[in-house]
Amino acid sequence: MIEPYLQDKNIPVTFMEYGFHRTPELMTPALQEQLDRLAEPSVVIIGYGLCGNGLANLKSGRHTLIIPRADDCITLLLGSYQSYMTEFNAEPGTYYLTKGWLESGSHPLKEYRDLLEKYDKETADWIIDEQYRNYKRIVLVAPNQQELEAYRDKAGEVAAFCQERWNYRYEEHIGSDDYVKKLMTVAHQLSESTDDFLVIPPGGEVKQEMFWR
Amino acid sequence: MSDVLVQISNAVIEGRLKDISDLTNTALSSGLTAKEILDNGLMPGMDVIGVEFKKGKKFVPEVLLSARTMQASLGILKPLLAQTGEKMAGKVVIGTVKGDLHDIGKGLVGMMLEGSGFEVVDLGKDVSPEGFVNAVKTSKANIVAMSALLTTTMRSMGYTITALKESGLRETVKIMIGGAPVTSDFAQRIGADGYAANAPAAVELAKKFITSK
Repeated sequence: MIEPYLQDKNIPVTFMEYGFHRTPELMTPALQEQLDRLAEPSVVIIGYGLCGNGLANLKSGRHTLIIPRADDCITLLLGSYQSYMTEFNAEPGTYYLTKGWLESGSHPLKEYRDLLEKYDKETADWIIDEQYRNYKRIVLVAPNQQELEAYRDKAGEVAAFCQERWNYRYEEHIGSDDYVKKLMTVAHQLSESTDDFLVIPPGGEVKQEMFWR
Repeated sequence: MSDVLVQISNAVIEGRLKDISDLTNTALSSGLTAKEILDNGLMPGMDVIGVEFKKGKKFVPEVLLSARTMQASLGILKPLLAQTGEKMAGKVVIGTVKGDLHDIGKGLVGMMLEGSGFEVVDLGKDVSPEGFVNAVKTSKANIVAMSALLTTTMRSMGYTITALKESGLRETVKIMIGGAPVTSDFAQRIGADGYAANAPAAVELAKKFITSK
């Protein structure tokens, strides 16, 4: 989603590896290391939300951090905090599929296949059911129609598995790139935190409660 | 410590369900009491799992298998604990808070509290503040335990505490909270009486509550 905003601009980018949302305790030190490695005092745009406290206690050091005031990436994909709350209230038991999660294989079907390689079927069945039986809905979310269509087949395969096993209903949702666009184009000009962005000045520290609205 | 207790701990840590019944029976026939097996075999095993999970060294499937292994042993011990184990002067109302459907950790805590002699009223998942209030009223519980797995839902813990205050029940209960994004800082901020990082810690905290009363 950020690629369009990087073209023709000389912005250095560091991509972190996928999957830190599962181990937020490892995410903070990994991000801290990247930040501390930047020698020049910089304005650093962070492409993460609070992410299960993965950002909590991150120290800005000599930099200024710009952070979306979102709990996780789903808010960014849906385009606003309000959209996220609307979806959340409509069905708290929603499992989201995105381009990133589908490509990196972070979804129940892939997890089930991995479990079958490691455990016998009864054990694999039990583990996957324990984790996913409570959700009611699986939603493919993409910022535009084109991306939605590109990932429909892959999402459909995962959804069919979840539907058969736990009776999830499948939905598609076109989100918006509004939030990411603002993050990438105007947020760096902010001098203090707003409803949508946190600005952590040099010497500051990210705190969980800063994300609450 | 007795060799068989170490073996029980290890079976829990490694999630070896197939071995646990034999080990539990061996421990019992060697003269160990159900309480000794719980406190010095099962609990230390779950303690290790809790710590490793936080560090990102164990993942959800492994924690689940450990819990399942412990549960199998508890199934054997439970009738014995009921006969001979100490009764805790504690009645716990436990649930995952509103909007949150994650019940693995909550179930584990409930199971271990029960094993340790507490009376447990499990409200399940997605429990509203009113749900907690009503349960405290009808059950006359003296401990409320709340769980949340999401930064979006953990705020509901604060709303539950407010609801307990408004209904005049706050002073009749001790409140403990836990779950992946929850911290002791957060517990303090919302006015809970304590935070537990994992299931054995939750049992310790509940014991502390009733002895300090």
